[in-house]
Amino acid sequence: MNIHEYQAKSIFSKFGINVPNGFIAYTPKEAKEAAYKISEIGPWVVKAQIQAGARDEGKFSDKRAGKKGGIRLSKSIEDVYSNANEMLENMLITNQTGAKGRLVSRVYVEEYIKSVNKFYVGLTIDKETASVVLIVSSDYDKDNEDIINAMETPNKLFKVNLGLQRKIDKKQASEVCDFMQAKVLVGDMKNFIDSLLNVFYTYDATAVEINPIGVTKNGQIWALDAKICFDSNALYRHKDITSMVDEAEIEERELKALKFGFQYKELDSGIGIIVNGDGLALNTINEAKNINLDTACFLNLKGGVDRDKIAESIKLIMTNPKVDGIFINILGGFLRCNLIADGILNVANDLGLNIPLIVRFEGTNKDEATEILNKSNLSFLIAEDTASGLNMLKRAIEEDF
Amino acid sequence: MSILINKKTKVLVQGITGTQASFHVQRALKYGTKIVAGVVPSKKEDFHLGIPVFETVKEAKEKTDATASIVFVPAKFAKSAILEAIDAKLELVVVITSGIPVGDMMEIKHRLQNSKTILIGPNTPGVITPNEAYMGIFPDNIHNSGNIGIVSSSSTLTYEIVLEMNKIGLGQSTVVGLGDDFIVGSSVGSIIEKFNKDAKTKASVIITGIYGNDETEIIEKYSKLKNKKPVIALIIDDNTALSEANSIAELICKNSFDVSDRKNKLRDAGIIVVDNITDLKKELLKVC
Repeated sequence: MNIHEYQAKSIFSKFGINVPNGFIAYTPKEAKEAAYKISEIGPWVVKAQIQAGARDEGKFSDKRAGKKGGIRLSKSIEDVYSNANEMLENMLITNQTGAKGRLVSRVYVEEYIKSVNKFYVGLTIDKETASVVLIVSSDYDKDNEDIINAMETPNKLFKVNLGLQRKIDKKQASEVCDFMQAKVLVGDMKNFIDSLLNVFYTYDATAVEINPIGVTKNGQIWALDAKICFDSNALYRHKDITSMVDEAEIEERELKALKFGFQYKELDSGIGIIVNGDGLALNTINEAKNINLDTACFLNLKGGVDRDKIAESIKLIMTNPKVDGIFINILGGFLRCNLIADGILNVANDLGLNIPLIVRFEGTNKDEATEILNKSNLSFLIAEDTASGLNMLKRAIEEDF
Repeated sequence: MSILINKKTKVLVQGITGTQASFHVQRALKYGTKIVAGVVPSKKEDFHLGIPVFETVKEAKEKTDATASIVFVPAKFAKSAILEAIDAKLELVVVITSGIPVGDMMEIKHRLQNSKTILIGPNTPGVITPNEAYMGIFPDNIHNSGNIGIVSSSSTLTYEIVLEMNKIGLGQSTVVGLGDDFIVGSSVGSIIEKFNKDAKTKASVIITGIYGNDETEIIEKYSKLKNKKPVIALIIDDNTALSEANSIAELICKNSFDVSDRKNKLRDAGIIVVDNITDLKKELLKVC
């Protein structure tokens, strides 16, 4: 789960990390007022708040915004007003948002901090060692790819495995200083990284990153950006974070599925796939591709046990206009096939079967599930395995035309 | 032979009285798994499904000689349940629970470094030695006894492969589901070592999950093995929709961004690499 930059900055500030003074604005007028509150003379930075990176290089879909991106230095109060006016209620398209872009519903107006050096700083988890890793790069403010490319040039990337250390030691802090070659005191560096670690552990984050930090002439470290990714499994411990979710940032169907505890993803147009595991999703999408079936979306019911939630989620795919046929491919272990059969039946009775639907059940309570569908007065097509199910679906879709 | 469990393994179940646990314990008992005890910290009954229930893992172990545990405890309480099993020095702990916070698993994983306990999971179908016993939530009657060891990071894909193996008359010595979560207790390489030592296993299959950056560990362990048995790895081409990272830091930590690079490294180490189930079956028939 993600939050906006301004929300992450308010958390940083509580943990003693320097963040520029700033205010959120939903209208150009509010942006102007925010600028006044910060200073009389500026300059200010107006930043579009969307939860995707590469905002600076992004473009707005509506031409009134001109060619400039989603982060704008503004030298006068009038500039602040017109920049906010151009960005708000406009779609910002960056290379991380997809072609449609994301709606800018609010901008963040903050004081401009003049820095002499900038760096990328991030904390995340290394899977193999189950440890926190600190990453510092002299490449910053760029696209993901560029920072990854920096890995190829080791002198541009500093990476250290911190294990479960909740504070770094002086030696590690001085290594970071040496790497940066910036005028920062070792003690200040240690305090800064320790504060980041504190945020990381306090909130069960999976990543905390600043892209970039700015180092000022007198050696102060400022978080010019802020990003925190939270572990959705640990959100029950952080009710204050849950209330920060901007639901507009999540696709409507995806959000509904999420609320039921399932995973829903839209890819393209074509068939809809309902499965009960990531691996099965991967294999089904791949096998579909092999017989030239594109996947519009997939729903992963994981180990779902609630009939109603399963039924509501199946509806998400049945009512997606981009879907021209559905393959329900279930290999029940923990999940019981009969619950899925109940769900399918409910939805089919509710909405009718307007597009081809193939079902494949295997595993726990398979026979009960098959019986439920056979007993109904709707004619379901039941497949033996993944390959035959997809072939049946392909034929059914083609016969429709 | 088999690895990790057989029909003699004495198993206890943590959280035995839960609805899901009860359902799956009954099925496992029917299959032949020797479930000898249940553990519920605030127990209300002395017996559940005819199995004695204890308040602590330590007591259950002392009274029944159980050496392994299946954990069905809800995610919020799973950390303390797992640590209790590790502290009681059980040989094997299989965690079915899904949704355990990553931070909790980091702590557990570090505790494992100083213990002899083998942790399988979380979020795993478990471990099955066909026709003998299983610890977990495997589907009914799809597994057959045979000579192939399977170690997998994807439960549903494993079921799919077992079903396809049935069609060509091949069975499994043991199937180990490592778990679908970001951090899991055991590594692929450590299970491959066990299969290599197991007399019954002729060859093993690695099924990788969505987060794949474990080739270094696999290669390191595999290259040290004496009398290497064939290993086939199934790597379905990474699907960006399933594996997108949230942050730059996460991307950097994935180590390998390039699936073909990953495949080449495994091939260079002598592991057979396939990218679909049809080819996997072909390779299995060659080595059997």
